[in-house]
Amino acid sequence: MAHYQPPKQGKASQLIDVVVLVILTVGALFVPLWLGMAGAAKTVAAPVTEATWEALGQNAAQAAKYEALGYTPESAHDLILARFDYSFSVTALLTMIAVILLYYFLILRFSEVEYREVISEKFGE
Amino acid sequence: MDLWNWLEYGAWGLSALFGLHMAIDWLKTDSTYSEDVLTSSREGELEAMAEERKGH
Amino acid sequence: MADVDITSQTMDGMGPHGTKVGLLRVLGPAHVWALGVGIVLVGEYMGWNFAVGKGGAYAALIACWFAGILYSCVAMIDSEVTSTVASAGGQYTQAKHIIGPLMAFNVGLYLVFAYTMLEAANAITAGYLFYVVAQMTGHAGDLDQRPFIILVIMFLAWLNYRGVLATLTFNLVITAIAFIAIIVLFLSTSGILGGGIMEHAALFEGHELPYGWIGVLAAMHFGLWYYLGIEGTTQAAEEVRSPARALPFGTLAGIMTLLIAATLTWYVCSGVLPWEFLGDGVNGSVAPLFDTARLSGSTALVWLLGFGTLFATLASANGCINDASRAWFAMGRDKYLPGWFGAVHPKYRTPYRAIVFLVPIALIFALGAPLDQVITFSILSGLLGYTFMPLNIILFRRKWPLETIKRGYEHPFHPIPAITLLTLCAVTFFAVFLGYGTQLVAMIGFYIVVSLWFHFWRYRFVNRGAQFTMPWPKPRGY
Repeated sequence: MAHYQPPKQGKASQLIDVVVLVILTVGALFVPLWLGMAGAAKTVAAPVTEATWEALGQNAAQAAKYEALGYTPESAHDLILARFDYSFSVTALLTMIAVILLYYFLILRFSEVEYREVISEKFGE
Repeated sequence: MDLWNWLEYGAWGLSALFGLHMAIDWLKTDSTYSEDVLTSSREGELEAMAEERKGH
Repeated sequence: MADVDITSQTMDGMGPHGTKVGLLRVLGPAHVWALGVGIVLVGEYMGWNFAVGKGGAYAALIACWFAGILYSCVAMIDSEVTSTVASAGGQYTQAKHIIGPLMAFNVGLYLVFAYTMLEAANAITAGYLFYVVAQMTGHAGDLDQRPFIILVIMFLAWLNYRGVLATLTFNLVITAIAFIAIIVLFLSTSGILGGGIMEHAALFEGHELPYGWIGVLAAMHFGLWYYLGIEGTTQAAEEVRSPARALPFGTLAGIMTLLIAATLTWYVCSGVLPWEFLGDGVNGSVAPLFDTARLSGSTALVWLLGFGTLFATLASANGCINDASRAWFAMGRDKYLPGWFGAVHPKYRTPYRAIVFLVPIALIFALGAPLDQVITFSILSGLLGYTFMPLNIILFRRKWPLETIKRGYEHPFHPIPAITLLTLCAVTFFAVFLGYGTQLVAMIGFYIVVSLWFHFWRYRFVNRGAQFTMPWPKPRGY
C-alpha cells in the first residue's frame, strides 16, 4: 500500500486551527453560563421565622460549633436550611444517556477506520 | 498604603518580570535555532534505541 | 551501538547541538510520586467537601471510598499500559496505539482541559487565600486578588519553562509538607496526642443521610475530587530515568498516600465541622482543613494548615502546568495540533511553546469563570478520560495478550478492575447529571464538534504509519 504523504501546513493555517480550537473551548465553558443554565443552586424550601438553634434542628454540640465559627441562628439560617433539588425528568436523563452513547459510538467508529489505515501502513499488507 | 498594597504592586511587577523573561527567551531561542532542530523530538526514541541495541 | 546507555542523563542520543533535541531523562520515582500526589492533594484542602453538601457526611465518606476504588482501578490499569507505552502524552499516546487516532485526539484534549481547569481553580484558591490572610492581618479594604492569581500562574509557568527537575523537586518538597500537615492535624486533634476534639456522634445526630440514598449517589460527583489527577503521573514518562519501574511504583505509592490522606481528612473535618457548614464550599467552609485547625484553638496548627493549603494549591497548579503542556506538546509533535507546538527548548529541554501557549488560556479561566464551573469542567474532562481507560485496557489485552509484549507491571484480576471502573463511571455520570446536566451535555457537544473537525479536517496533516512508534508486533485481529 502506498504511504500517505501529509501536506505541509503553512503558518497561517496553523494559526487558524489554534484560534478555532480556543474559540470552541471558551464557548463550551461560557455559553451555558451566558444562557443562565449552569449550576445547581441550593434553595431554602421552608424558612423558619423564629430562628433558634432548636428550630434549625441543631443539638447542643452542633450549635456550639456554629457559635465557635462566629454564627448566630439568624446568620446561619440560610446556610443550614438550603437544600439541593434532586428531582429530574426521565426525558432529560434519557437524552443525556443518548448523547453520551452517540459520542462514544462516533469516536470509536471513526477511530477504528483511522486505526486500520495506520496498522496497514505500519505493518504492510 | 499598608504592606498589602505594596504586595499587590510587587505581585504585578513579579508577574510581568516572569512573563517578560519567558517571552524574551522564547524569541531568542526561536531566532537562534532552526525550526528543524527545535521540532526534532520524536516519540518512542527510547524504544527505538532499545530495539536497535537488541539487534546488534 | 553497545555503548548507548538508554538511562543516561546527559547523553540520550540527542545532544543539545546535535540533530535532535528531546526531553531530558532526569526524574526518579519520588518525582513521579510528587507529580501525582502534588496535583491531587489540594483536593483534600478544598473542594472535596462539596460532596458533604451533596449528601451529608456519611455520603461523603461512602463517596470517598467508592471514588477510591475507582481510582485504584485507574492507577492499576494506567500502570500496566504506561509501563509499556512510556511516552510524554501519557493516555493520549496509549489511545493512539491501542484504540485509534480520533480517540487519542479526544483523550489528549481531556487531559489538557482537566489540567488547565484544575490549574485555574488552584490559582483562584491561592488568590482567595491571600485575601483571607490580608483580612486576618488587619488589611483595610478589599485586597485585589488578580495580581496574586496571575503571579501564581506566571511563576509556575516560568519554573516549568526553566526545566523539569527543579520543577518537580520543588513539588516534592511542598507536597511532602502539605501531606505532613494533614497527619499532624489528625494526630493532634483526634486524641492520639493530647486532648481530642472529635465529636462525630453528636455532630451527625439527626443528619445521618439528609438526602437519603440519592444523596450518596450525588456525592460521587465531588467524590472524584479527593483523587482527581493521580493519572497524570504518566505524563512524566519521557523524563523519568527508568519508566517501566518508576511509573508503576510512583503511581501506586501515590494512590495509597491519597487513600490515607482522604480518609484522615474526612475524619478530622467531619468530627469538628457541622455538615451544613462543611458542605458549602462557597459560603461555608472554603478550606475545610484550615477551618478545622482554626477550631482546634492552636495557633501553630492554624499556621501549619494555612501554609499546607497554599503549598497544596501551588503544587497542584505546578503539576498541572507540567502535565497539560506535555499532552499539548505530544499532540503537536504528531501534528494532531499545529506542528509548531512540538518544539523542545534546546537548553532547558522543556516543551516551551506549549507551556507559554497555555498560560493565557489558564488566565482566561482563572480570571473569568466562577470556581464551581471551573471545577465541574475539570471533573467532566477527567471523567471522560476514566471512561476511556477500561475500553483501553480491554482492547490492549485483546490486541496484545500478555505473552506478546513484556509489561513492566501486570495488573491483577483482569477484567474485574475494568468492569468496576466502567460501572463507577456510569454512576458518576448520573451524579453529575443530578447537579450539572446542562454542562455535561454542553461539554459532550463540544467534544462531538471537535471530533468532527479533527476527523474531516485536521487529520490530513498527520502521518499515518509513522505515528505508531512502539516496537510492538502487529495487533491481533488486523
